[in-house]
Amino acid sequence: MGQRITVDPITRIEGHLRIDVEVDGGRITNAWSTGTMWRGIEVILKGRDPRDAWVFTQRFCGVCTTVHAIASVRAVEHALKMEIPLNAQYIRNLIIAAHAMHDHIVHFYQLSALDWVDVVSALKADPAGAAKVGQSLSDWPGNSVQEMQAVKDKLASFVAGGQLGIFTNGYWGHPAMKLPPEVNLLAVAHYLQALDYQRKVNQIVTLLGSKTPNIQNLAVGGVANAINLDSSSTLNMVKLYFIKDVLDEVEAFVKKVYLPDVAAIGSMYPAWLGYGSGVTNYMAVPELPLDGNGTQFDLPGGTIMGGDMSSFKPITSFDDPYFRENVTESIARSWYDGDWNRHPWEGETVPKHTEWTPEAKYSWVKAPRFAGKPTQVGPLAAVLVGVAAGHEPTKKYLTEAVSLASKLAGTQLGVQHLHSTLGRHLCRAVRCAVMFDAALHQWELLVGNIGKGDVAIFNPPVFPKGEQRGFGFHEAPRGTLSHWIVIDNGKIKNYQAVVPSTWNAGPRDEKDQRGPYEASLIGNPIADPKLPLEVLRTIHSFDPCLACAVHTIDVEGNEIGRIKVL
Amino acid sequence: MTIAVVGLGNVLEGDDAFGPWVIQWLTAHYEFGEGVSVEDLGTPGLDLHPFLVDREVIVVVDTVRSEGAPGELRLYRKDQILKHAPQPRLSPHDPGLKESLMALEFRGDPPREVLLVGAIPGTVDHLIGMTPPLLAAVPLAGAEVVKELERLGHPPVPRVPPGEPDIWWER
Repeated sequence: MGQRITVDPITRIEGHLRIDVEVDGGRITNAWSTGTMWRGIEVILKGRDPRDAWVFTQRFCGVCTTVHAIASVRAVEHALKMEIPLNAQYIRNLIIAAHAMHDHIVHFYQLSALDWVDVVSALKADPAGAAKVGQSLSDWPGNSVQEMQAVKDKLASFVAGGQLGIFTNGYWGHPAMKLPPEVNLLAVAHYLQALDYQRKVNQIVTLLGSKTPNIQNLAVGGVANAINLDSSSTLNMVKLYFIKDVLDEVEAFVKKVYLPDVAAIGSMYPAWLGYGSGVTNYMAVPELPLDGNGTQFDLPGGTIMGGDMSSFKPITSFDDPYFRENVTESIARSWYDGDWNRHPWEGETVPKHTEWTPEAKYSWVKAPRFAGKPTQVGPLAAVLVGVAAGHEPTKKYLTEAVSLASKLAGTQLGVQHLHSTLGRHLCRAVRCAVMFDAALHQWELLVGNIGKGDVAIFNPPVFPKGEQRGFGFHEAPRGTLSHWIVIDNGKIKNYQAVVPSTWNAGPRDEKDQRGPYEASLIGNPIADPKLPLEVLRTIHSFDPCLACAVHTIDVEGNEIGRIKVL
Repeated sequence: MTIAVVGLGNVLEGDDAFGPWVIQWLTAHYEFGEGVSVEDLGTPGLDLHPFLVDREVIVVVDTVRSEGAPGELRLYRKDQILKHAPQPRLSPHDPGLKESLMALEFRGDPPREVLLVGAIPGTVDHLIGMTPPLLAAVPLAGAEVVKELERLGHPPVPRVPPGEPDIWWER
């Protein structure tokens, strides 16, 4: 057995994800992904009114509030076989698209870029050189020599003040850092600019949702955004054009900064277009419904098995039996009572904790399976599904990104390179551009529909006697999310949320099949076991968002993050 | 001057509801003037960032990890919050206060002052409802927020009679 490394940013009552790897000869030979917190929040919903469920589900997680609200109202509407008004669908879709863009930008620049970008190296950069690199990628005005000089000066004064602050835990000088100083400076400049644009695009969610995080405008049956073009307190022309203006501003950042940046970083770390593949069964659900009950969508869904694009099978509606009948969750290796693999409607959440035992139970996360197989979800899955389904915008932005990366790398890259750590980042940027175009389309649909005189936003739900079962899915920024509800005489009898990060971060199952995180780490290099940057790179590429949000602030403790070598 | 009072915490996690609870207590007991926003933000992680931008002063109410008995309050100012580096994060869930502040420091437009009113939690688990020591600390934490607003020249106006805090998640 090789050396065992645990990456475990655990605090006293916090901590969501722990990764254990075995390293032999500088390569990872085995891996375990552990969710370190009980995920049993579904229990809280039993006995409640299904109309209130979304208010609670969006408190599951502080970062993914909107997505749990959307999936919840869809689940109840599906159980009641309801349609919702077109305006309600378009308003929800605009929220979904804006939230996705916000989330993708935050993920790349604020959460992942420092895995690839050496901030301290940027101090050695020639600002004119950095501007030249930027201008070769796009005509973004924020790539000027003055801008690069200003960022370099800011960085220098920050370092001189002994205050690297946010970057203190960066892995600068790590042997796996490969970008030239000029590219690092350009990336730091874009890191700062991204703070503005992620905030800007989220204004759409705030405006339509009344508040973010934790939007207020949903209802089972529609939305609560009264529409009256002549009133200042409702959704009116001024507000609709505010949304359009925000979209116009954000477009350039997505297409001229984010997409080219990821292509450039991909071209400079070509090995990482090979590492990090793992599970190549993919699923994405269709998103942005175009009718009242989810039979037509702006963005396609489906599955691809074994990385074979010709295996594509579509998921086409909110009621698709192919999705409904193939989702199960296994607890064979999870800290719950039993060893079953069940459909979510039959699922239970009864905790039974033991020692961390890699041969037996070792995670609080259940292991979701599609048709019995571990399945990867997220923007990589959505983009591959989009290509397989012939979705033109997906093909267009993917071709653009891959061509740029190929040109910069001096070698022709193809779909095979997407099954990788950096492939995930590249596809997230592609998805962000696709989401931009889709947001614009949804805005046009909403304005057009209101222009026809339709101001309907809500159909009241009716709860019949007896039992109804429903599910609601949502292609969230991190991948396929589904909520499964059983209603009995108007009250919640069972509720299970199968979230994107459980698809990806889940443990092995009863057949000993590794989950996507685990499989993706096998074969990755580790240059320095004391600084396992490479593990963070691959895990971050999935955009993990696990335990749903206990988050007590630590101010006094020195050592709350811990990376230990055993 | 713009001041943001924000409550952080997960209302579905026992004593972690402290921040949102204090916000409901404050808005039931006081009216706040122009330039002061008072909001429950749940557990926004890095999505806290937008609420810190263009603010001169931030008052955060949250649970904190510290030595002491449940319900004891701890107050911190900006330099204490920023003193230690944030840990490497695997997920965006980890607290975002430190990192959001640091990002603004780096950008050059941080809030001038920060006050963190923190309570030491007792039980944090998947359940709704706070333990008695945390419930008892709510008015004390609220009073600290009020004191800070008075010091800043933005005293809130007491509601007479006070309203009932809207603890919707316990209904």
